[in-house]
Amino acid sequence: MRNRTKTQEYLTAFVMLLPYILSFCVFFAYPLVKAFMISFQNFSFLGDAPPKFVGLANYKEALTNKMFLDSILNTLYYSVLVVPTQLIIALILAVIVNDKVKFKEFFRTTYYLPTVTSPVAVSIIFLFLYKTDGLVNQILSHIGITPRNWFNEPSFVMPAIVSVAVWGSVGFYMVTFLSGLSTIPDQLYEAAEVEGAGEFIKLIKITIPLLKPMIFFNTVVSFISTLQMFDLSYIIGGSDGGPMGKAMTMVVMIYRTAFKEFNMGVASAMAFVVFGIIFVLTLIQRKFFGEEMSY
Amino acid sequence: MKKFLTILLTLIFLLSLVAGIGAAQKDVFATSKITLKLGAWASSPAEKKIVQNQIAAFKKLYPNVDVKITEIVGDYNQKMQLLMASKTEPDIFYMDSMPAWQYIAKNVLEPLDSWMKKYNVKTIGYESSLLQPFIYKGKVYGLPKDYNTLVLFYNKEMFKQAGLTQAPKTWQELKEYAKKLTTDKVVGLTMNLELARIQPFAYQNGGKVFDGSKPVFTDPKALEGLKFALDLFKEGICKTPKDLGAGWVGDAFADKKAAMTIEGGWMIPFLNDRKIPKDQYGIAELPAGPAGKSTMAFTVAYVMSKNSKHKPEAFKLIRFLTGEGGQKYVVEAGLALPSLKSAGVNFAKTYPERKALVDGAKYAQVYFYGLDGTKVVDVFNKAFEDYVIGKKYDLKKNIEERVKQIMK
Repeated sequence: MRNRTKTQEYLTAFVMLLPYILSFCVFFAYPLVKAFMISFQNFSFLGDAPPKFVGLANYKEALTNKMFLDSILNTLYYSVLVVPTQLIIALILAVIVNDKVKFKEFFRTTYYLPTVTSPVAVSIIFLFLYKTDGLVNQILSHIGITPRNWFNEPSFVMPAIVSVAVWGSVGFYMVTFLSGLSTIPDQLYEAAEVEGAGEFIKLIKITIPLLKPMIFFNTVVSFISTLQMFDLSYIIGGSDGGPMGKAMTMVVMIYRTAFKEFNMGVASAMAFVVFGIIFVLTLIQRKFFGEEMSY
Repeated sequence: MKKFLTILLTLIFLLSLVAGIGAAQKDVFATSKITLKLGAWASSPAEKKIVQNQIAAFKKLYPNVDVKITEIVGDYNQKMQLLMASKTEPDIFYMDSMPAWQYIAKNVLEPLDSWMKKYNVKTIGYESSLLQPFIYKGKVYGLPKDYNTLVLFYNKEMFKQAGLTQAPKTWQELKEYAKKLTTDKVVGLTMNLELARIQPFAYQNGGKVFDGSKPVFTDPKALEGLKFALDLFKEGICKTPKDLGAGWVGDAFADKKAAMTIEGGWMIPFLNDRKIPKDQYGIAELPAGPAGKSTMAFTVAYVMSKNSKHKPEAFKLIRFLTGEGGQKYVVEAGLALPSLKSAGVNFAKTYPERKALVDGAKYAQVYFYGLDGTKVVDVFNKAFEDYVIGKKYDLKKNIEERVKQIMK
């Protein structure tokens, strides 16, 4: 074994990695490069006209498209509503489930279940729940709130989608918080108890500071996933973005431009604008949480 | 290392070459029996049956041609364009009037003129307005398979309870009736809030939204007509199926959530499927406006792919489907109107209670707005939405703004 040369070792490594490298090139690197090229072209995959280089025209068109700009605002609105709500609920649930609750395995499983359900199925079920004569309205009518079609009114559609999103993904963040909680040594809590600290003080002084890396991780992941939201909005609002376009997100807009208007160039340009937005926002969060955070 | 890579690459290359030869050979040695693919969107079982019957009849005439229906579920245009991009599209397929020019301009459809000459098919036999969306720069690209018009469906029982005896004939009556029929549980009228339903009101008022080659956005007469229809929504005597919590107007009408609806002939088989007895609803022409009657005609044509490997057979199939032999089945089924004039006469005789559909054809506008069709529809639909549920009350200004944004 000792006389194996470096080259042989590299070769072995290379062969082992080959399946991944191939799939990476075919399904990730190539489409990425191609999409970047298309974002500078007048590109149509119908007919035999060759793509034409148009410089920054696609980016200009994307950034002057009111519907796209609206979709950016809608998405940010969605993110700002979802991320904190989701994380706070997830953290509270994690703390409760981590503690001395009976049947905690059962609760862990139930709260995690929506996460493994297809978002499409979830959206369709909520379409029924939020209908004018759906369950939600029937319950609300008992406390004197007039029934309305929540997904069909401009000012309610996004908050309604937010509620679906939070319900559907809170379990995932709960589980990551749980794994973080298990790394906090019990002695700290015991020491705190000896000093006379209550539950709330323990949460503020021990749990949250020690969970900081986990909170950062979850914030970033949650932010990125909300900025890329597609399925809920598409199923509930369609490619027109629901009532008055209020449910239109950035990714639905890319889909609409690419596959409804067949404007591949502009759609690719939009995709890179979205990439830029996510990149910048993630950098900002990194700054906010301190750069020493290693996740 | 390098050697190994070279060998690997050569191997992969050789393998793909062999695979290529294998595939090529298959085609060369194919049996004399050929298979045509016919692309259709998913529709009701009754509609599917027509095509199946037509194909069975066609196979009897041409035993060496097998026809396979490729049913496209979901967004038809999107999937069709993806199929085309990968060059796996069917030989002939349905083409809606709306996007027709977009395909034609991209040069992916086969012009049919030379084939029509060769096999003696004349455009004069078809209802003339139906061909308009499929003629581009003087060339014919599709032959209409059938068409449908919008009519007014009304619930006879609800009419009786409200003391009404017949369908509304004028705008005033439409409004009056809708008001009378609206109760806590039922809305007078339901229709989609979109150009394809609202447009007839523009023409009924003597305005237009399309002049034959390009869209007209702010004809004052048209705007006045559109406003009349949109105000029905504002007054709450007309609602969209979505507002009623229904999947589409058909459901809303069948579930008795609305007393009247404006929809096409495809409602009839749907109501049959829902077991709604025929004498429970009536079918009437759309109420006339100040300038007379108008309605929409929706047409679908058969077009041929430029990449088809069996063009002569594909054209023979189109000729059969849109000719006397195939149109017979369209008449028999009574779902849509036959595009062949000679067959249209038989339709009205076979289905007297559906006469309104045929009568409408005489003054109908085809659902078609040229090359920018999708954008035109978008401009109007969004403006309608703003006007009805938004806060922008100036329809004209709103349309102008949207035109500036979308149409360049």
